[in-house]
Amino acid sequence: MLYIYMLGYDVDFGHMEAVSLISAPKYPEKQVGYIVTSCLLNENHDFLRLAINAVRNDIIGRNETFQCLALTLVGNIGGRDFAESLALDVQKLLISSSCRPLVRKKAALCLLRLFRKNPDVVNVDGWSDRMAQLLDERDLGVLTSSMSLLVALVSNDHDSYWSCLPKCVKILERLARNQDVPQEYTYYGIPSPWLQVKTMRALQYFPTIEDPNTRRSLFEVLQRILMGTDVVKNVNKNNASHAVLFEALALVMHLDAEKEMMSQCVALLGKFIAVREPNIRYLGLENMSRMLMVTDVLDIIKRHQAQIITSLKDPDISIRRRALDLLYGMCDVSNAKDIVEELLQYLSTADFAMREELALKAAILAEKFAPDLSWYVDVILQLIDKAGDFVSDDIWFRVVQFVTNNEDLQPYAAVKAREYLDKPAIHETVVKVSAYILGEYSHLLARRPGCSPKEIFSIIHEKLPTVSTSTIAILLSTYAKILMHTQPPDLELQNQIWAIFSKYEGCIDVEIQQRAVEYFALSRKGAALSDILAEMPKFPERQSALIKKAEDTEADAAEQSAIKLRAQQQTSNALVVTDQRPANGTPPVTQLSLVKMPSMSNVDHNPAEQGVSQANGTLSVVDPQPSRPSDDNIGDLLVPLAIEGPPGSATLSGHSPVFGFGGAPNAEDALAIAPVEEQINTVQPIGNIAERFHALCLKDSGVLYEDPYIQIGIKAEWRVHQGRLVLFLGNKNTAPLVSVQALILPPSHLKMELSLVPETIPPRAQVQCPLEVVNLRPSRDVAVLDFSYKFGTNVVNVKLRLPAILNKFFQPITVSAEEFFPQWRSLSGPPLKLQEVVRGVRSMSLVEMANLFNSFRLMVCPGLDPNTNNLIASTTFYSESTRAMLCLVRIETDPADRTQLRMTVASGDPTLTFELKEFIKEQLISIPTASRAPSPVSLQAQPAEPPQPLPTSSPAALSDPGAMLAGLL
Amino acid sequence: MRRIYAVLCSRPESVCNFIEAESISGPDTRFVYKHYATLYFVFLFDSSENELTMLDLIQVFAETLEKCFKNVCELDLVFNYSKMHTILDEIIFGGQVLETNSSEVMKAVEEISKLETASSALSLVHKSVSGWRSR
Repeated sequence: MLYIYMLGYDVDFGHMEAVSLISAPKYPEKQVGYIVTSCLLNENHDFLRLAINAVRNDIIGRNETFQCLALTLVGNIGGRDFAESLALDVQKLLISSSCRPLVRKKAALCLLRLFRKNPDVVNVDGWSDRMAQLLDERDLGVLTSSMSLLVALVSNDHDSYWSCLPKCVKILERLARNQDVPQEYTYYGIPSPWLQVKTMRALQYFPTIEDPNTRRSLFEVLQRILMGTDVVKNVNKNNASHAVLFEALALVMHLDAEKEMMSQCVALLGKFIAVREPNIRYLGLENMSRMLMVTDVLDIIKRHQAQIITSLKDPDISIRRRALDLLYGMCDVSNAKDIVEELLQYLSTADFAMREELALKAAILAEKFAPDLSWYVDVILQLIDKAGDFVSDDIWFRVVQFVTNNEDLQPYAAVKAREYLDKPAIHETVVKVSAYILGEYSHLLARRPGCSPKEIFSIIHEKLPTVSTSTIAILLSTYAKILMHTQPPDLELQNQIWAIFSKYEGCIDVEIQQRAVEYFALSRKGAALSDILAEMPKFPERQSALIKKAEDTEADAAEQSAIKLRAQQQTSNALVVTDQRPANGTPPVTQLSLVKMPSMSNVDHNPAEQGVSQANGTLSVVDPQPSRPSDDNIGDLLVPLAIEGPPGSATLSGHSPVFGFGGAPNAEDALAIAPVEEQINTVQPIGNIAERFHALCLKDSGVLYEDPYIQIGIKAEWRVHQGRLVLFLGNKNTAPLVSVQALILPPSHLKMELSLVPETIPPRAQVQCPLEVVNLRPSRDVAVLDFSYKFGTNVVNVKLRLPAILNKFFQPITVSAEEFFPQWRSLSGPPLKLQEVVRGVRSMSLVEMANLFNSFRLMVCPGLDPNTNNLIASTTFYSESTRAMLCLVRIETDPADRTQLRMTVASGDPTLTFELKEFIKEQLISIPTASRAPSPVSLQAQPAEPPQPLPTSSPAALSDPGAMLAGLL
Repeated sequence: MRRIYAVLCSRPESVCNFIEAESISGPDTRFVYKHYATLYFVFLFDSSENELTMLDLIQVFAETLEKCFKNVCELDLVFNYSKMHTILDEIIFGGQVLETNSSEVMKAVEEISKLETASSALSLVHKSVSGWRSR
């Protein structure tokens, strides 16, 4: 049967047989039963429940081999149900003295599995004492397993296991100092390295060691390990001893030992990164970068900089990556220039897999630590030139922002851009940057040789035939700007440019066409042109998207290790600091732009995106902002005319209530709005709430909301139609948060029950509030958490969407062609099967789309559809009314036009089919205003809110997620 | 699997035994591998384990196989697939290190194989076949 299974066939028919074999009396039958069961069934399978009793009988039985078999089964596939019914018996086995070590060590690891499935069953009273007793065990096998268990227990909750700490130290002493182990447990002369490593790992989960005696003896052992290890001939011995050594290093770092010991460690690491053994070099580099996070030994590490740079040229890519990470981490103002130059040099020889990361890191470092801005511009232009394909848009957007905001830099940047255009073959991104910069600032160079508008125009125009449509759009803007700056007007140039505009007026790309038509019309208006096409206003000083990206990735790497946890706290503090800075810096700038062109206020909104019709004369026709569902800051940069930068719209909202909060077309704008709110409410969220929500739609745990005072994390578990969410309310301050209130506003299809939320959250404490969810019917409505608290005099009230959405009640399922087609055919026509042609789909490749589906738990089944441009996905939906319901989705795409597709959705329930279709449509089309509403904090800032918000057009509807969704439905 | 193989084969002799595998098998994962003549051993693990101990574990596994088969080669493993699994079961359990002492492992494995041979395999097959028929 296993063989059939391995060949890929379904063997449902045999499951029952296998499960019943478990209770057979003879060994071979039992064995076969256990093996087949553990291979064929996974932990959520219904049949396993049948087996629980038989397994339990074996566990409490007297036959040891049977016990082993049963424990192995539970240890490998045991689920929650097992945890509930078996944990006690397994615990008994583990501590009983009558069993053989063989059984007991299996019991320990089995318990570990059960603990991971359901932490509550193991944490019973008195277990920590038993655990401490277990650590006195003489048999090393049992001890190793128990230590694994302890590591898991302690990482979850170290408070209850204080009593184990001195025991761990004792074990270490016994192993490392006294070498008191049976012969067969020494591995190449090292006493059980595994146990040593595990013990030290467990110690790392305790915050500090208070008892001075224990601390002293621990340091003694560590000192011995640090000093006593040498690189020897035998590879295996080397490995083992260094395993212990590296773990000891990690522990030393964790304990924040004295400076002397630290520098000793760094010296050791410095030695390691120079040795021949590649493994040790690798780990040396890695540990060094870990060390950076914890303590300030930067100066000592800097001494090894040359060696690390050599490692960049190592033949092994793993080592090169580590070296790059380390260099990135150790960079600061003093050595930034060297390191970045080194990276740039390396960029041209690096392998392709690393280039993107390398480019990003170089860009971030250059920005973070730039000694002067012209150097920064140099670096980035070089970077784009050398590795254009690997430079993300963020990087060049950022340069442009910098140049725009620094007047001194503008002529320099323009000269540089001009120089790059002279090169024979340049990357398209360079063309973009250069064209943009020259369009804005080339008039500053006009007196230099070779820089007359005409020459600049011709050199840029040379590149036009070779570039893609998005670049052409930028080039067109550049031409318009050149034309505007040419004073007195040059008729020949004007005719040339007009000819180009009229050529592109019929372009198939809407964006280009629109620009061409508008510029053409604009440039005929003469004097008005220079007003409209004036220089771009300064960008609001905001946190660099790049740095934010880097921080996000750091924060995402949630690791259990205590060291990491501490490091994470550091990054989150950094976030607080950087986020407040832009808030203070912007208001003057935005006001300036307002004063400069007051007469333009009518054009200051974006009709297309807001859906507000504007009947204000001629100027509205020339509204330059392309209505494009952009979701990065390209929206800011491509606004070709200077009439209105996003900051303008934010400021204006106070003056013209009808246009209110504006179109907030992208994430950056949501940030730009923040300064306006600043005047009313000082608390602003960290990060974008909408983005956090969308991230949580895809994964089950993460941060839902964060501001300087509180962080709300969420962790969810979904089982068929039920869900259990835990809200983690963490107070980030040293003062308590009071009047905490959390109210759930559930949509009609969800039954939600929130446990009691305490009124006060003590300083630096985290409160957990479980929330039970039952899904009654299919629906796309979203539950909203109305959360408020008081800190000092600030009352904060936020409304947060909870990620209990349709896709959470899916269970991915793969269907074979034999199953699919009959099902597909049997569901014929509406209302069970609905078809729709969707337009305006966000452009993505088929693979990206498949990934998107998979991340929404819609399992893509490759190969079912003969046409490779189509996707078939299937899933099972669970709710109380529908029970398990198979859903099938077919997407037919058009390779020639990625923005439209035909979607067919089928399921056995008409509502489900409809809701699922709409759900997928929402995901495929990016609705800029809906998905990126401005932060809902401080709703009292709403000017003149209309009593009955009109769907889609009212600003109130945009900022309140609940109302917004209501509008959409 | 194929991708791992492609990565491994492209690595020269003298490089280190660790590969970051985030692209292949999700975040926070690493491979450690070791090869003996024609056999490649690959372990996949996350940041909760020490890299070098994993390397040692491979060594223990290899040594145990050696003891079991006397000069182990790929044919041994192909024909004694189940035995290899039993050994692995005795060393690693639910993703955690269970036993690192190869003689202890051998003892357990021998016990199991004794039990297996004790009851005739023939009767088992017969019984299950008749079981099928009766359904």
